[in-house]
Amino acid sequence: MEDAQLVRDFLGGNHQAFNKLIDRWQDRIHHFAYRYFASNDDAAEITQKTFIKAYQKLDTLDDVQKFGSWLYRIANNLCLDELKRAGRRKSTSLEALKTAPQSETASSADSKLMRSEAMVLLHKALLQLPNEQRMVVIMKEYEGLTFREIAEILDESENTIKSRMYYGLRALKKTFDSWNINKEVFNYE
Amino acid sequence: MNKQEARNLLMDYMYGELDPGQVRALEEFMQNDPELKEEFNELNETRSLLQHLPVQSPEEQLVMMAPEENRSQTASDAKSWWSIVSNALFPKQGFGRFAFGVATFAFLFIVTGALTDMKVSVTDGAFSLTFGEQPAEQTGFTAEQVQLIVSQVQQENADMINEYIESAQAQQQLQFEQTLSTFADYFNDQRASDWELFNYGLSSLEETTYNRFEQTDQVLGEIIQTVSTN
Repeated sequence: MEDAQLVRDFLGGNHQAFNKLIDRWQDRIHHFAYRYFASNDDAAEITQKTFIKAYQKLDTLDDVQKFGSWLYRIANNLCLDELKRAGRRKSTSLEALKTAPQSETASSADSKLMRSEAMVLLHKALLQLPNEQRMVVIMKEYEGLTFREIAEILDESENTIKSRMYYGLRALKKTFDSWNINKEVFNYE
Repeated sequence: MNKQEARNLLMDYMYGELDPGQVRALEEFMQNDPELKEEFNELNETRSLLQHLPVQSPEEQLVMMAPEENRSQTASDAKSWWSIVSNALFPKQGFGRFAFGVATFAFLFIVTGALTDMKVSVTDGAFSLTFGEQPAEQTGFTAEQVQLIVSQVQQENADMINEYIESAQAQQQLQFEQTLSTFADYFNDQRASDWELFNYGLSSLEETTYNRFEQTDQVLGEIIQTVSTN
């Protein structure tokens, strides 16, 4: 059954349909928030709040076909609210991550450790992006949304979204180069 | 297609959101522009690195789940019925809401007053609010008792006033003596100061007079010497 049908069922009084929507979307919203904050606790909180808000406001959804985009918009707004609310703490944490890691020589670490460290650095690099670019990169690269969908969710023009994606990737490349992260690290056996 | 237009299409191309005609045009352009091709390859490699980012699944199920259907349906019906009535009867904002609150309070006050036999009275500036049956009137004192109480009060008042007057007199006496003593000290100081000033003036006058006598003698001596020389 499609999301739209489940939304219609819920609006028609079948509240169990909402539980099916939760089952279907919970992991995606959690992953989205986790990539944004790099914190499992924050991701769980954002996911919880997203579905509570969706439950309260689902009757305001104009186009049931766009339930997914609408849910992402709620999650996005909650992420921004969380950033504002705990901005100091989180920005401090991000500032700490900006310190370039100490590079290790290939001979001093085994391949597993290097891959593990590189994965952590990937997340740190993502966290260093400005919020607007980070949100677009996550939505595009991991959630697989089209530029048009992202533009609708963030209420921006498509060109703005593409521009943020372009500059986000360039910034990430620069960071990866300075931290010596390349495909050889992940292909190293 | 110029380079800027080609660059604007890079993101769409990378994520497969270009139509086939645009794809062909862009690929042809990049064949002739190695720099743009290199930029595309770099961004594409960055993209492929991002795919290695790990992700954590939620550790537990959400606390929030929709309630049971029947119960929620009933609650929803009750809520909608109440919403219709409340929306029709109760003002939602601003002065209307305030006025509704005041009117409700007044209504409850009146109903409570009627049920509890409330009585409101204002006598000699005193406001009294009583509920239920009025307390029985208190019987008064006899004339002798009143006379006795009045005389006791008068005696107590007289004693209190006497005590107050004595205390005030003692305090005034003490203040007068302190003032007199202060004035005497001041007068002595002033007199000593005047005497010292007078002595200083007198000795100063004496010294001045002596100097003038000396000057006069000196001038007279010079005149006599001049006359005798001539």
